[in-house]
Amino acid sequence: MRDVVLRTRGVTKRFGALTAVDHVDLEVRRGEVVGLLGPNGAGKSTTIGMILGLVQPSDGTAEVMGRDVWRDRERALAGAGAIVETPAFYPYLSGRDNLMALAIIRGGAARTRVDPLLERVGLTARAGSKYRTYSLGMKQRLGIASTLLADPPLVILDEPANGLDPAGQREIRELVRELAEEDHGVLLASHLLYEVEQICDRVLVINKGKLIASGTIAEVTAGAGTIEIALSDPARAAAILRRLPGVAEVRETEGQVTVTAEPARGAELNRALAAAGIYAGAIVPRKSSLEDVFLDITEDGGGGAPAGS
Amino acid sequence: MTWILLLFVVLLAFALYFVIYASVQAQIQALHGATAAPSGTAPPETEAQLRDTLQTLRPAQVLGFGLSVVSGLGSVLLIVLTASVFGNEFTWGTLRVILALGAPREGFLAAKYVAIVLHATLLTLLGVVTALAGSEIVSSIAGLDPALPGTFATDVIVNVGRTVFTFLPYIALAALIAVWSKSAGAGIAIGLVAYFAEGIVMSVLVAFNTDYATIANLGVSRNVSAVARLAGSTPGGAPPGGAATLPDPGQAALVLLAYTALFVGLTIWRFRARDVTSG
Repeated sequence: MRDVVLRTRGVTKRFGALTAVDHVDLEVRRGEVVGLLGPNGAGKSTTIGMILGLVQPSDGTAEVMGRDVWRDRERALAGAGAIVETPAFYPYLSGRDNLMALAIIRGGAARTRVDPLLERVGLTARAGSKYRTYSLGMKQRLGIASTLLADPPLVILDEPANGLDPAGQREIRELVRELAEEDHGVLLASHLLYEVEQICDRVLVINKGKLIASGTIAEVTAGAGTIEIALSDPARAAAILRRLPGVAEVRETEGQVTVTAEPARGAELNRALAAAGIYAGAIVPRKSSLEDVFLDITEDGGGGAPAGS
Repeated sequence: MTWILLLFVVLLAFALYFVIYASVQAQIQALHGATAAPSGTAPPETEAQLRDTLQTLRPAQVLGFGLSVVSGLGSVLLIVLTASVFGNEFTWGTLRVILALGAPREGFLAAKYVAIVLHATLLTLLGVVTALAGSEIVSSIAGLDPALPGTFATDVIVNVGRTVFTFLPYIALAALIAVWSKSAGAGIAIGLVAYFAEGIVMSVLVAFNTDYATIANLGVSRNVSAVARLAGSTPGGAPPGGAATLPDPGQAALVLLAYTALFVGLTIWRFRARDVTSG
């Protein structure tokens, strides 16, 4: 089992009567990319804020490399690099000078990493330009470079592909995978679910401040899907299928029923229909994407059953 | 912005000598013109007063006149600078980047305060040097005594120190408002209103009745005046009610120190507990 680089236990943030984050437990290990998903206002940024010592938890603890972020702040956060919400730098300084300023605060060998990191994120040619002249994509790249100044075990990226064109988004995906291969643990908050599906080893879904699902993509999407059955008598077929255990929903359309159930159950449904004298013309199982599952469980009001573990 | 503020002080401290010299000369010439005319006679004391004014432009008077210009202007500029330096960290979002690196919050504030006090020192010193340059040039043109007292260098150090000390409550106040409001604009606006309003209210109070000087002397502006007068510097002119109503300089220094400590303490208290979010 690889080292845990980030662990939260019951982190909670209350703003008066509102509980923005409610007892969230999460772990990130070296070499894995963990997606933090949730609709706007779900509590992702507040959770990240608590991990980085920016937001004081009302309850619970956050540890980076086993060190409590609030009790041993300086040493704990030496193990983390982060883009929080959006990249933010001094507009009147160049990209290189901004990184150099952060490297001075970081200390150690961070200063020697400035130019190699600018090269790595493709900003060498514009390193001397003022930050305020950068495009959104360049700002994101500079933000990613800043997270790696101290080569930290934990990298937290909040919407790193925001504002990037498709080619830029692909580069970021590749970079994030490279970071995991280099043994960094990456916590990636993103709205781009296909991006998460491609690069994350595990996902955590948060809604209304609560962690409502967690696990690998396969675990979270397991059992979720639909089966489309073409037949001549949809109304009668639907009545039979609704009586079967494990069938969540049956929708009738002209010449077809769509059953919300585990896609692997196609043969079982076919047998049930055949036993009643209804013969399917075609059976098409469709596995739900992460997006389908995400929308399903977050539209459920946040208290829905975990889709994964 | 820092360089623009420095340049502003330097240019103003230098140019003011020429403006005052030209103005006084023009008035003296106008008086002479009036004397030459058969119908008019200029009161002799008026020209003497103008010549006295010219004497304040001598290099020996730089720590009185020049420093008072730098002091008055410096307070305003430092309120603007301090509020910008603190408030823009919130506006740009750079504060969360720096704190997320593990930088201690008190250390962050301390670095800002040190940078601003160093800037204030540089601003005052440059202001005095350029005022001296302006004074020397004007003295050579006007035939004034260009000599400096033997203790001038020491006097400069002591009085620059005193002037920077009088800036401290205003720096601390601007920082407090900027941190509290998370905004440079609010820090500048409220800081300047507090600076001018407090000065005006206290002046009106003492002008109304000198007995109120005891209350007015608990404010910032009259204590600043009391410390500034040690160098012969009078930012904002002579105080209402006369210099005798000003507090003792030692007491004034303590009051200014207390205000500074109060504002800095409140800033640290607020900043330590503050959640740093984009909102």
